[in-house]
Amino acid sequence: MIWSTRNSAYTFTAPEFPILEKQNWLIHLHYIRKDFEACKAVIKEQLQETQGLCEYAIYVQALILRLEGNIQESLGLFQMCAVLSPQCADNLKQVARSLFLLGKHKAAIEVYNEAAKLNQKDWEICHNLGVCYIYLKQFDKAQDQLLSALHLNRHDLTYIMLGKIFLLKGDLDKAIEIYKKAVEFSPENTELLTTLGLLYLQLGIYQKAFEHLGNTLTYDPTNHKAILAAGSMMQTHGDFDVALTKYKVAACGVTESPPLWNNIAMCFFGKKKYVAAISCLKRANYLAPLEWKILYNLGLVHLTMQQYASAFHFLSAAINFQPKMGELYMLLAVALTNLEDTENAKRAYEEAVRLDKCNPLVNLNYAVLLYNQGEKRDALAQYQEMEKKVNLLKYSSSLEFDPEMMEVAQKLGAALQVGEALVWTKPVKDPKSKHQTASTSKATCFQQPLGSNQALGQAMSSAATYGKLPSGAGGTSQLTKPPSLPLEPEPTMEAQPAEASAQTREK
Amino acid sequence: MAATSSLQADGDKGKSSEASSKWLNAVSDPMTNIHTFPACMALADLHGDGEYELVVGDLGPDGRQPRLKVLKGTVLRESPLPALPAAAVTFLMESHEPQTPAVAIASGPCVYMYKNLKPYFKFSLPPLPVNPLEQDVWNQAKEDQIDPLTLKEMLEGIREKAEVPLSVQSLRFLQVELSEMEAFVNQHKSKSIRRQTVITTMTTLKKNLADEDAVSCLVLGTESKELLVLDPKAFTILAKMSLPSVPVFLEVSGQFEVEFRLAAACRNGSVYMLRRDSKRPKYCIELSAQPVGLVLVHKVLVVGSNQDSLHGFTHKGKKLWTVQMPAAILAMNLLEQHSRGLQAVMAGLANREVRIYQDKALLNIIHTPEAVTSLCFGRFGREDNTLIMTTQGGGLIMKILKRTAVFGEGGGEADPLLSQPVKLNVPRKTRIYVDQTLREREAGTAMHRTFQADLYLLRLRAARAYVQALESSLSPVSVTAQEPLKLHAVLAAEQGTLSSRLIPHGASDKPPEVGPGPQVVTLGRFFPGAWRGTPQEPVHFSNCRQPEGVGLPGAGMGPSRDYTGTRRTGSP
Repeated sequence: MIWSTRNSAYTFTAPEFPILEKQNWLIHLHYIRKDFEACKAVIKEQLQETQGLCEYAIYVQALILRLEGNIQESLGLFQMCAVLSPQCADNLKQVARSLFLLGKHKAAIEVYNEAAKLNQKDWEICHNLGVCYIYLKQFDKAQDQLLSALHLNRHDLTYIMLGKIFLLKGDLDKAIEIYKKAVEFSPENTELLTTLGLLYLQLGIYQKAFEHLGNTLTYDPTNHKAILAAGSMMQTHGDFDVALTKYKVAACGVTESPPLWNNIAMCFFGKKKYVAAISCLKRANYLAPLEWKILYNLGLVHLTMQQYASAFHFLSAAINFQPKMGELYMLLAVALTNLEDTENAKRAYEEAVRLDKCNPLVNLNYAVLLYNQGEKRDALAQYQEMEKKVNLLKYSSSLEFDPEMMEVAQKLGAALQVGEALVWTKPVKDPKSKHQTASTSKATCFQQPLGSNQALGQAMSSAATYGKLPSGAGGTSQLTKPPSLPLEPEPTMEAQPAEASAQTREK
Repeated sequence: MAATSSLQADGDKGKSSEASSKWLNAVSDPMTNIHTFPACMALADLHGDGEYELVVGDLGPDGRQPRLKVLKGTVLRESPLPALPAAAVTFLMESHEPQTPAVAIASGPCVYMYKNLKPYFKFSLPPLPVNPLEQDVWNQAKEDQIDPLTLKEMLEGIREKAEVPLSVQSLRFLQVELSEMEAFVNQHKSKSIRRQTVITTMTTLKKNLADEDAVSCLVLGTESKELLVLDPKAFTILAKMSLPSVPVFLEVSGQFEVEFRLAAACRNGSVYMLRRDSKRPKYCIELSAQPVGLVLVHKVLVVGSNQDSLHGFTHKGKKLWTVQMPAAILAMNLLEQHSRGLQAVMAGLANREVRIYQDKALLNIIHTPEAVTSLCFGRFGREDNTLIMTTQGGGLIMKILKRTAVFGEGGGEADPLLSQPVKLNVPRKTRIYVDQTLREREAGTAMHRTFQADLYLLRLRAARAYVQALESSLSPVSVTAQEPLKLHAVLAAEQGTLSSRLIPHGASDKPPEVGPGPQVVTLGRFFPGAWRGTPQEPVHFSNCRQPEGVGLPGAGMGPSRDYTGTRRTGSP
């Protein structure tokens, strides 16, 4: 070729130095296409030619090493780059990033501050500083840095981290505010939408939660986080078929998600397909054997199936993992009652009453058991306890009581000759419904079962009556039947949304 | 290039799918040995005879044999290149007849221009300004005013502080050993120090007319973070713009002398927008990922990122949409069908697909035998709409868009998850399971009692055995941490007898000094059928499928009962 001859004219006087950056473009092209083998070959060649002076080649080599997990080696190379061109903030940023990945957050912060001196207006430095501070649990500093990062340039990631700070601080309202802004900024980011939806769900603002989760699903119909959350909401409202179709989509993507199978099972449970429910629950349990919620649901379904011995095992396993929940002891007591182990049942009820503060069912079931044992006085005490809780509930939320529970309670009241002291029919509920939003920040265990009781309660009661009917027909004789299977559905429903959100939060 | 002559389709196979496809297979040759990037491909009528040719700056199989390849019809011509090509474009130099476009290959610090496929002109980038301090120091060294050690110190000082980086000569000198310094200085001091940069990317920009056959300027992106616009005739630098980072991809629209917009995707993960009279970027898009391609579709700037997604941006850098890809993007280019006024983005993916998008809508998916690493679309030969792709292994694929083909939304395969109802894979339960359930309903209490009693018995026995062992100083407890003791439980079922063996192991290599031999505890009998009947269920501890009450000692049903061979369940 004609042009190659001209260059060689110099070579006699002194060897021409190769241009250091000669193949940087090629290195970069290979790097962005993730063709690391080709990239490494070019880097090696260029480093040989330039005797290790080519900064960019070292830089990319370090990036590749870091992607391959050799963080310590990459750190060394980045430091070498920083020596070759000390004025470049980028090298320092990468040094800091490697330090960060090694868990040396304090050192990373120092280097980032160095880099910030070289480049004042870099959102990335501010953002990463903020993340480092989060890991050091200095949330205020982190917040400042992230806000200044947002000021320089808005990025979804910064919003997410800022939201996380507020979540870590437990300030849900602020977190929601941040995520709202983030969604405004990038309305199609499904992660932001899902997180916002889940936060609303946690606060019990179902309308908005559903809106955002629905948006997520329009942009990404297979987003399993959103499917799980939206499905659990539908389930709460008794739309089991719709929820199931949603779950089916999710089940194609993530076949091994315990919460998903738990929720699918509870859909089947709601549709009274108990065998399918047990199958799914057992799969969920197989996938997550230490998850007490699944064990709880297994216990519940087995109680419904009148497999009391099995139910006992699942419930006692659940109690081993979660020894602080009254409802679990109550279910255990129900199982024990049916297994004719009254003594242990009583002890379980005692524990349930001790632990539970707000569920009138616990007391009612206990009262029924005591009454059946002929201990009228204790039964009365429990009955009054239940009345207290009911009154408390009536005023704190717009909770609908399960009709069967009311029926049993009324009958028990009659039998105990307390009369119709309890007003189950609620007074005007409209003013109370406002309370719901006001009392949002408190424990969610009461908001969750909203509306769910009826559908599930009915399902449960029909399950319970099945096979039981011949035992008695009269009004009082119904009280003598082993009590109150139908009365426990709430906690399951509670378990599901919590589950969904718990699962998403851990990611 | 015999294989290129296979202008007929692949043969019989896939006839039916071809009928429904929008594309005709023209060429599919896995052995062409072309290794290139989308920036190094261009289509042009190089001889002015109406036959468009494909110009490829080929890097060679291992990036060592750079060649200029020109494919006309089925004939391939090659000529060697002096260095690896960073970009190849074709452009018109002058407006008078005969209008034959020139080929420009950017490589290293030079642009090599070919006319009629003959070397025509070589443009070299002007050297970069040298740091005056550095120049001074070397001048002093030249006049022997300073010794090499002082020179080294001074150069190091300059490197620490100066904005302008040192020349290669100085950097080399800083690496030289003490003993060789003298010789190095003597050898090089007479030379003037130089700083040279290289071209990273190149594109064309119409000079003053928007016509198809208007004269175009070359736009060069350099390693020194600059953009240069070259005059097509005199090859002087018409404009110079600086960027905050090194440009990787360029997209230009408009005319140089009227108004133009320039988008440059850079190595720092940002895309910068420049206008005609701006020396510095006007807008900036920070991607927080590396861009892998940049295409201007109508007025939307489509950027592919290395996080497997396509983003659409306006001219002012506002994000319009994002589409997630199923795999990494390897190559991107523009698909322009003049007859229908269609503009779309083609993206070659690592999962051996080429996807065509118009904004967010997926128009078409082409499956290729290998991952496509570069692609371009346009007139080739006498065919207006030809898609040319080269693959990872160096293959060449050409497809012709059928004249009847119309791209409509949803032309790509819809998501299979949504289109067809899927069945939930719910594990089925067997008859035996149902039987067991019924049995548990009837005799649940007895089962429970038996189980509890046996559990207590087992605990009691374990405690007794432990006490016995302690009393007789068998010491089944590992005393030192160096010799841990492992207890290995084996559940064995033989001929209707369920037995568990607890075998203590010394976990260290020595056998355990003392200890009871393997003890077999016979738990009782079980149904052979029950185990066989429910194999698909996962066996886990809390599973109550195993009939607890059955045959366990102490239960109402003693082991004397005959269970063998039958699959009886329920009460007798």
